[in-house]
Order: sequence, then structure tokens, then C-alpha cells
Amino acid sequence: MANSDAGDRLSPARRLSAGERLPPGEHEFIDRDVVIGFEFEGRQVAAHEGDTIGSALAAAGVDVLSRSFKYHRPRGLLCVAGNCPNCLMKVDGIPNVRTCTMAVRAGMTVGRQNAWPSVDHDAGAVLDRMDRLLPVGFYYKVFHRPKLLWKIMRPVVRRIAGLGSVDTSSDGGPTYTHRNMHTDVAVVGGGPAGMAAALAAAAAGLDVTLIDDQPVLGGHLLYDATRYTGINGTGDGTGQEIAETLRKRVAEQDGIQVLSGATAFGFYQGNLIAVHHGYEAVQLRAGQVVIATGAIEVPMQFENNDRPGVMLASGALRLARLYGVSPGKRAVVATTDDSGYSTALGLLDVGIAVEAVIDMREEPGASEAADAVRTRGVEVLAGHRVVSTSGTKRVSRVTVVAPDSSERNIKCDLVCMAGVRQPVTGLLLQQPGAVVEYDEQFGESVPAQLPGGVHVAGDITGFHDLGITLAQGAATGRQAAGIDPEGASQLDAIERDYRAGQQPPGAFTGRDGRSAKKEFICVCEDVSSKDIDVAVGEGFNDIQTLKRYTTATMGPCQGKMCHRAFVEAAARRTGQSIVATGRTTARPPAQGVPLGALAGPGHMPRKRTALDGLHRAAGAEMVELGPWLRAHNYGSPQEEALAVRERVGIIDVSTLGKLDVRGPDAGALLDRVYTHRFSNLREGRIRYGLLVGENGAIMDDGTVTRLAEDHFFVTTTTGNVDAIEDWFNWWLAGTGMEVFVTNVTSSYAAINVAGPRARATLVKLTDVDLSTDALGYMRSARGMVAGVPCIFLRIGFVGETGWELHFPSEYAEHMWRALMEAGAEFDIAPFGLEAQRILRLEKGHIIVSQDTDAVTDPLDAGMRWAVRFDKPDFIGRGGLVANRARPPEEKQKLVGFVMHDRFVPEDGQPVVEDGEPVGRVTSSRLSPTLKKGFGLAWVPEKHAYEGAEIFIRSGQTDSPAVVTMKPVYDPDGLRLRE
Amino acid sequence: MQLFTQNTMWRRYPLQDRYDVIIIGAGVHGLSTAYYLAKQGVTNVAVIDKGYVGGGASGRNTAIIRANYLTREGIPFFRESLRLYEDLATELDFNLLFDQSGRLDLGHTDSAVFGLRMRTGMNRLLGVDSRMIGPSEIKELVPAIDLRKGKHLPVLAALYQSSAGVVRHDAVVWGYGRGADRLGVEIHPFTEVTGIVREGGRVVGVDVGGHRVRADVVMSATAGWSSNIARMVDLTLPLVTHPLQAFVTEPLKPFINKSISSANLHVYVYQSDRGEVVVGGGVDPYSSYSQRSTLHTLEELAANTLELFPFLRGVNVLRQWAGLCDMSPDYAPIMGEVDGLPGFMLSCGWGTWGFKAGPIGGFTMAELIATGRTPNLIKPFNLRRFAEGKLVNERAAAPAAAVH
Repeated sequence: MANSDAGDRLSPARRLSAGERLPPGEHEFIDRDVVIGFEFEGRQVAAHEGDTIGSALAAAGVDVLSRSFKYHRPRGLLCVAGNCPNCLMKVDGIPNVRTCTMAVRAGMTVGRQNAWPSVDHDAGAVLDRMDRLLPVGFYYKVFHRPKLLWKIMRPVVRRIAGLGSVDTSSDGGPTYTHRNMHTDVAVVGGGPAGMAAALAAAAAGLDVTLIDDQPVLGGHLLYDATRYTGINGTGDGTGQEIAETLRKRVAEQDGIQVLSGATAFGFYQGNLIAVHHGYEAVQLRAGQVVIATGAIEVPMQFENNDRPGVMLASGALRLARLYGVSPGKRAVVATTDDSGYSTALGLLDVGIAVEAVIDMREEPGASEAADAVRTRGVEVLAGHRVVSTSGTKRVSRVTVVAPDSSERNIKCDLVCMAGVRQPVTGLLLQQPGAVVEYDEQFGESVPAQLPGGVHVAGDITGFHDLGITLAQGAATGRQAAGIDPEGASQLDAIERDYRAGQQPPGAFTGRDGRSAKKEFICVCEDVSSKDIDVAVGEGFNDIQTLKRYTTATMGPCQGKMCHRAFVEAAARRTGQSIVATGRTTARPPAQGVPLGALAGPGHMPRKRTALDGLHRAAGAEMVELGPWLRAHNYGSPQEEALAVRERVGIIDVSTLGKLDVRGPDAGALLDRVYTHRFSNLREGRIRYGLLVGENGAIMDDGTVTRLAEDHFFVTTTTGNVDAIEDWFNWWLAGTGMEVFVTNVTSSYAAINVAGPRARATLVKLTDVDLSTDALGYMRSARGMVAGVPCIFLRIGFVGETGWELHFPSEYAEHMWRALMEAGAEFDIAPFGLEAQRILRLEKGHIIVSQDTDAVTDPLDAGMRWAVRFDKPDFIGRGGLVANRARPPEEKQKLVGFVMHDRFVPEDGQPVVEDGEPVGRVTSSRLSPTLKKGFGLAWVPEKHAYEGAEIFIRSGQTDSPAVVTMKPVYDPDGLRLRE
Repeated sequence: MQLFTQNTMWRRYPLQDRYDVIIIGAGVHGLSTAYYLAKQGVTNVAVIDKGYVGGGASGRNTAIIRANYLTREGIPFFRESLRLYEDLATELDFNLLFDQSGRLDLGHTDSAVFGLRMRTGMNRLLGVDSRMIGPSEIKELVPAIDLRKGKHLPVLAALYQSSAGVVRHDAVVWGYGRGADRLGVEIHPFTEVTGIVREGGRVVGVDVGGHRVRADVVMSATAGWSSNIARMVDLTLPLVTHPLQAFVTEPLKPFINKSISSANLHVYVYQSDRGEVVVGGGVDPYSSYSQRSTLHTLEELAANTLELFPFLRGVNVLRQWAGLCDMSPDYAPIMGEVDGLPGFMLSCGWGTWGFKAGPIGGFTMAELIATGRTPNLIKPFNLRRFAEGKLVNERAAAPAAAVH
């Protein structure tokens, strides 16, 4: 046995070492010459290349693959198609992997889950005998009295619930990539209908993407050995041979891209198809979509219909024909249509004994296959029904009831359920406009209305006939290509003929639809027909509340195995028709999809300024601010702040939002969106800009500089610029104003040079006259600094003489170095965000969203000076006017406060009065100037006067502070005007 | 032997021509209002819903119960709701699977931590057991969380409310429905109100198709559809309806026992008693009445969940859905009578915070309807606050809404 990546090529003598196998079949998936090994619960299991974990375990004789969700009943292979919950295991640390479709890789580690001490001997199985104590919804009726009981029981319930376990220390496995694709026609489903559709559309010159969840195209034909004759366009042959013919044509046809082993899990607005394909997730935009997802077999209803060995007929055939593994030795086939006879023949062909075919119709099948089954000596029991199975960990016999109500037991180790189908409409129904209706004749719910650009073909339509399937496929392919299908009427005719020849399907319920406790409707959630009875009796008599109460259809298969049975059971119990009963809502994903596939590589974009490298080299601590990384400090914020106060400092303010606003109506636009007036701003002047929302609450602030008659340079807060750009354009739209708004945030770097020696530093690098007479406070100029063209903004956020220099960002490092060099003789220091926060706080300058919140009125924030009620209407004026009318006792004001000592309350702590919260601290720091704690706080208006005493709660203590209505540093603003 | 009672949850009745009170909307607010009304003796009540019981936001929210809000108005309201939830299973004799295992609001940036601190301070003054905790205690409470330093948005601190929890939302709705039914209230699912009848400036009933049903009081408890109901009485509400999306994974054995929210990552996560990981996000940035979900949001939610719990990468998403949120400008509800429209009552503006308020919302609305007096708890939430500029501002405390 091998445990290497490559696997071993074996001599013919050792070929059967990968478990017990049937004789080789021509179209099987496995390569019997290669054996690979994997670890299963501590032992080595051999598999062939092409095996799934499920098929390899079946070959190794493992019957019980899992324990059920509620009763911990043993469960074995059922669908062998990745639909049902029975084979969920932990694979390489990842829980709930569908092992019946997961290909074996050498060395993988596989273990069963949800059992203790083991799946073979599960203590939880005792719950199966306690069903009287655990009726549907039992947990709503117990453990809540006394109140404490639920506290005790909840952890127990939680431990019992859940399926697989996660390893919380792992990294979750490989990351996935994302890919975007576009195609003229997306065809979902690689069976005969899908292949025919793809061929027809591609032949018409369209670009086609064919998505199929199996490793090889062919759909149900892959395991269909029935011989077909007279099928239009394919030649005679077995299903497997016809699949091969079609597959070859697809490979040879130009314009078809095939995604095999790919699951289309989402069908979103705008024909966006989400595909999970290995470690890749594909977003596929399609012009037209053909849904050819087929129909899947679903279980029948009888007692103990969930026992290992009870399989879907298609599952048994898959196992035998694709993987060469015998699903059992003695089979009973139960069927509601002629397909069961084909199943019986298929089993006989690979050497499995068939004890009986239970034809649940009153009139037994009269097809060729039925005759062949009889000829081969198999007993056919017409009009009989399976009512139960016996056995412990595998079925050992079935009980059938004859039309005369007599019962009979038949020994077997395999029960194949054939003929009950559910069209796979989960993907289709995610698209609004797609409607599925119950077709009385077929007994299936099939597409009845389709949105534009969406087509269906094949078994999903309820027609289960290869000729019709291929004709439908070709017709939809032509429709998608916009070719008027001359064959449409011909198709109608053959569909009519099919309907005319169709026998009514047999019932697939046990004893006349009577319910039973262990007759499972929903295998994921262990919901039985009895549970449905009880829940309907309790008043959950519409499909939606019934679903939520019973949790039927809500498990890992999301109704793939049970939706039809659930709706029919609900209809029976409520006495309503199936049409009136309706359906549950189809939601994405149509098939479980890993979080990693959705997340993709997990790129979280972060923006770095052009000076990022220099900050790091200088030892800066970087923090995230909105999307940006900024230098928080270079070691000591207090010292950095002092450097600005006493000498000169520079800070990288490149993250400021920057908008270039031009046009003859630029001033008019700014007047409309800002509270201040800008149309009268003189060239070369700067004005503070405050933006409020329609309710008058502060949104953003910054500066507005008039560079020319029709040209403004606007700054916004870091992180808000995209929203503000949208805001400008929103209020511009439809007005006819001639304004162009350009976001130049990343094009310009910006450095603020501030402090008593800022001028002395800058004059060394520029010939712009920086004297206050020439370039006073709130004025701007343009000129060169260190050979770089700059916009100079003389503003004073930190309260010192200073210039904000905006210049092309490619020169940022050069500029920074030039400034550091020029300022060296003054002991220039870079300062970070934290120092800037201290400095601006000493000046009482607000930071939007720190000192303001979503309803802050600028008047209450002490910014009456920034609002011009004497200009024409502006955004937020109505809200501001309304707010002015409010009585003072309801208002809070933003004020400064100073502590009596160095104690610094934390930002956000409440201001209290008699133990009641009446306000809050928004910013607080240690003042380098006062050497005391200080900050800004919202307080009741009655306390908004110089010298008022307030109390700030921190922990259990209230600390007194004194209100100040002026900045604690340079209250008259002389320094920044020097 | 019958071990469990199997009584009908609520009986079916023909719709009568007259009730004392008609409540439009059979979600948690409509049914809890009916229940508390009946407890006060007002039993001639009909709850009418165009769909199934609990099919709107009540069936789509992520059922986190907490009171760690920001404002003086909001905190006591949600605190009282939490208190009602604590005894609700006993009161309704229905296990609502309510647990109080606690909730963490994570802060990944200075400004987020500042907001959490603000809420903590207010919570503690107003009787809610919130406190700020650091990374080591976060790790103790949620050992599975990824607190590695140096990654994008590292966890700096959290607001921890230990009495917060998670409830089984459907059970709450059903429990109130059954409780109301037992006290004589009629519940009429699949019955669509097509018009509201006014006479002499007063609301006097509703039309259900051609059937006119009269009532002294008509209350709208229709959350995402409130604007449409209000339009029937020519009332424009300051509401914008946005979808909010969520998903669940396949069931896993328990690995987290708290609900965890991150406003920076726009995601909140907990594990249900069934083992599913429930993940919700912010409201979608556009307004819509569509309850259809989108791939983009699913991808974002998944990516952000993995930032906190990277080991979930291989775990399957089972289903994704969207619900409607009637967002108010100040992230607080709109409750009570409407000036100039006697006989009409509103309970809306429930945004992303409605389910938490189900019990107290119903309790206070019932008191208002039964006595004509507005309880102090909901006085700040009247519609007239928008005309008077008295907004409540719960924005910072509604992280699910904050991207809106």
C-alpha cells in the first residue's frame, strides 16, 4: 500500500488491493493501475486514482459513514452525488466535507464526526430510543422552568447539536483565488441537455461556458448502460457511449470553455453566476443562461428509510459503474416508474443479485427493460409498497405490503429507491421571474415561467427521456443564440407524445401515507412524517412556519433530498393541494460553498502615503485611520508637541482629502453644499469649510481655497473624501451648474510645517514672500519649494505659524528630506498624529466624528461663525433653523474643560450631575502647556460658561473640572498670525 | 400517554367586521403589543399580516439581544426589553432558547474604542452591565478569536456586556402569538390590508380587499413596509428601507459561546444552539424593498468573518438571506400616536435594532393604546421629534447600521 503523492503503479496481480471491486467497466472513473493511500481514523485505506473518499471506504467495507443530527442513527451512502448529508466527514481538518464526491488524495486524513466514542459505537444512539421524549420542537417545550434549568441544559444541547468540529488553531487550509469571466452563454449542467445546448449555441458562433459539477461531462449518462436506439443525431448506443460521443463533440467544437468539477452555487442579479471551482471562485457574467441542472432522485417514504444499504438507485449505479464498488450483494429495487427496471438490469449486469422489483404502480411496467427483468427471473411485485426495513447498521430485510394488505419480508442488504425525482431548481429559482409549478401528470415541480435570457432544458423540465432532453438542449442553445428554432413546433409535438404515453407515477409513501416516527422526510435534520403531522396539528399549517418549526429542508442539503417529500407531506396533512401548499424560498448558495472561496485572497486594501517609508525608517508607530496608515508618533507625542510649540515640526498630512473644483459655477456649488459662503471669497484666500447633512448635523470639515476665479482647492477629512466627492456630485446632478469635481487626494502629497521657526526653515527653500504682510493667516500662494511646485496654505490647525504645502506626491520624499535638512539648525522634528491631536485640542479645534456625532449641530458646537444664514438656501439650512428653535434646557454645548491636576479622563467618559449622565468627554489629553488634563466635552447649556464646574465619571469616582470657553493655548490666536 | 402538549398555537377565525384594536403586522412587535394589550384586558384585537406569522424582519434578523446602546433615551428602553426577555420563556411557557452568554463589541481603531468607551460609560450609569476589556480578557472569553498583532485591524479592546445574549427569534414570535391567542386575540395571517379608512380626520378601520373592518385604533407594526402603510393615510415617514444580509454555515460543534460584533469589519458572528455560525453585516448601502441577497455582500461578510476566525475558511455557507430595515435618521425607533391623525399608531423605525426591542416595544405600545397615556420610556421616540429637531442619535451604538 502506498502513502506517497504519486501512488504506486501495480502489477496486475495486486490490482484488487484497493478494497473489493467489481470487474472493470469501460467507462469507470478509477484507474485500477494506480493505488493511493489515505488515513482513515488511524488506519491506512487504499484507493484507486479516481476514487472518492466515499467510494474507497465503501470498497473497504465501511457501511456507516456518519451519525444523524438528532437521533444519532447510523447513516451510509445514499446519493453518491454530493447532495445528501450522509457522508459528511472531517478531511484534513476541515469538517462537513462531502466525501462521496471528494476525490482521494494521497496522504489525506479522514475521520467521521458527530459521535462518541466512535461512529461505529455511538453512545448518542440512545437518543434514537428516546424519540418519545424528543418530538418535533421539543426544545421549545422543555428546560425553561425553572429559569436556571436552561442555563444548565443549554451547554448539553449545544454539545449534542452540531456536526463536525473545527480546529480553532488551524489556519483553515489554502486560500482561494477569485476570477472574473464573461461569456455569451453560460450553460449550467454538463449532462446531455447541457452539452447539446452548448454545442448548438457555439455552432451559432457564440462564446459558451459550460459548468459541470462532475469530473467528467455526461450527467446521468455516465452510469447509464441502457441501450438507446433511434435518438436523433447521436447514433445508437448505451447512455455511456452517447455521453462519450457528445463529450468528443464538445471538445472539438470551437468556442466552448468547460469548467468541470465546478459548482454554480449562485445566480444573482444581472445573470451573474457564482461558481466554486477547486480553490478558485469565479464570477461569471453571462448574456444568456441555460439551466440544465437535471433532476435528482430523492428518497421514498417508509419506516427506517434511512438505514445504511438503503440507497438511491442512481447512487447504487454510480458506485458500481463509476468506481467499480458493489453497493451490496442482494438487492431489492423499489420503483415508481420504469427506471427501476433499468436499475435492476444494471445491478444484474455487474453481478448483484436482485431479489425483487417492487413496482409501486398499480399496473406494472411494460417496457423492454421490464420484460428483460422478468426474463432474467427477477420477481416483480406490482402494486406493492415498501413499508419498512430492518437491520442494525445495515439493512437486512424489507417489509412490503401487497394490494390486499398482506405483508411479506424479503431478505436483502441493498434497497434501491428508483423513480422519485426532484428537478434541480435551486439555482434557477434564485432569479426573480423564475417560477416553478407542480405538474400534476409528472408529479414534479417544473419551471413554468422564466425570466428573459434564461432557458431550461433536460430533466429539470420533468421530461425524463433522452431524445427529448437532447432536442430541448439543442433548441435552447439556438434560442440563446437568437436563432428562431425551426424545431420548436417539432419539440412541442414530441413533448405532447411523451405526455400522452406517460403512465401516472406510483405513490412513494409507505402505508397509505400514514405517518411514522422513523419514516424520514428530511434526513439532514431527522424530521419524520410523524413530526410533520404533529407540527401541522400544532397550527404550523403553512409551508413557511412548518419549515421553521420542524427545521425540515434547513440542514446541510438545504432541501435537495427532501423538498418534494416535505411539500407533499405538508399537503397531505393540511388537506391542501400541492399547488396551494406552495414551496419554501430558494436561497443562495444552491450548494454549500466554503467561506474561503467567497472571501478570496482576502485583500484588505490599505493606503500608504508617499512618505510611508520615511516614517517607518524614523521609527514611527503606524496606525490605521480610515483606509490610511498614518504615523501615530515617533517616540514621544509630548516632546513632538513641544517641538512644534517651541521650534518647528513637520507632519505628513497627505491623507487629507483633496478635491479640485473648477468651473464658472464652482462658487455657487460650494455655497450650496457648505454652510459658509465661498462665492465672495477672494482669490488667494482660504476659508474654513463646514459640511452639514440635510438635518443640519455636521458631516465633514476642511478648508476651501480660491486659487482662481473659477478654481477652488478643497480639503476634507482623512477617509471621508470619497463620500464628499459623491455628495458634491449628488447635489450637482441635474442642476445645470457647470462644475467639474476631481478627486486629487493621491496626486498631491501634503506636509504641514508649523512652529515659531517654520518661516525661518521655509525661507531657505523658497523665494515666495512668507511675511505676514504678503501671505497672512488664511491666505494661499503658489510657488516653488526645494524646486517643487507647491500650493501654500497658511492655516493653523495646531495653533502656530505654519504652512500646509500641497505638491505632486512623487516629490514627497525629496520635500520631506529638504525640510528636515533646512530645519536641522532649529532642531526640527517630525510630529505624528497624536501630537497633532494634542496641539489642536489646546486650540479647541474639533475633529469631526471625534468631537461631533451624527446629530451634532454646528451652533451647539460653538461654530456659529461658520454658518451663514444670510445667504441663499443651502443643504441643511432647514435642520439648522429648526434646531435654533429648541429650548436651551434641551441643548448641550461643546466646551473646553481643564482638570485640577495631571489626571486625564479617557475620551468618551460621561459628564455627570447627581449621578445622572448629562454629557460626555469627547477628547482629552495632558496639556503640554498647562501640565494638566484638559479636553473638550458636551455639557448642558447651563454649564456652558467660563469657570463652570463639571464632574467627569471615571470608574466609580467623579472628578471635578473647570469649563473654559476659550482655547487653553493662545486664546486670541496671535501666534498663528505672526 | 401524551408527554407533550400538542395544542394549536393559534386558532383560525373568520375576519369580523369590528375590533377594538387592529394591528397590522404579525411580527414580534405586532404580536407582543397584542399580547400585552390582552393582558391589560383589551382582548378584542386582530393582528393582520399579508404573509405568514413572523415572516418579515422578525424571521430574518439575527436575534441578538443587548442593551449596550449610547443614549439616555435608548439605553433604558433596551435595558427594560432585556429584562422582559429574561423572564419571557417562563411567562409564555415556551422555551425561547434565550441565553445570556454575553456579547463583545470589538474595537480595532482608536476611534472605535472611543465610541465603545462612550457607550460603556453611559451604560454603567444607566444600569447596564457593560465594561471595557482588553485583548487578554477577550482571548479568555473567546479563545477561538484571532488576536495576532500586526494584522489588518488588530483587536485593541472590546465592550463586553455579559447579560446580552441570543434568542431563538421564531420562538419569540410564536410564543407571543400563542400567548395572545390564549387571551382572546385573533391572528390573521395571509390577510393583506389594502387600505386604511378615515372618517372626519380619524382613522376608523382598515380595508382587507373588499372587506371593511372597523376599529378604534389601528396600529402599524410593519417595519420595512411601514412607509407603504403610512402612505395609506397620506403620511410620509422619515424612513428609508434598506436590505440587510446575513448567512449561516453548516452546523459545527460549539467553538464560540458569545456573540461578537465588529463595527470596523462590518460583521457580527455567533454560533446558534444548532451549531450554525450565524453572520450578519451592515445594511446594504442602497435602499430597496428587495429581499434578494447579493454575491458582493456575501463575499465581504465571509472575508471579514475570516479576519476574526480564519479557521472557518473551509466551512461551508449553507444559506444567505436578506431582510428589510426601516432606517430612521437618528437610528432610533418611531413610536406612538401621530399628531393630527387620531386612531392611528406607529411602531416603526426599527432598522437593525427592532428585535431586541420586541418585548418592551409591545409592552409600552399596549400601555399607550390601553390607557391613552404615553409611557415615559417611549416619549422621546415620537414622530414629532423630527419636526422639533430632537433627534436621539443612536448611530454609534448600531454597528450594523453604521455603514448606512
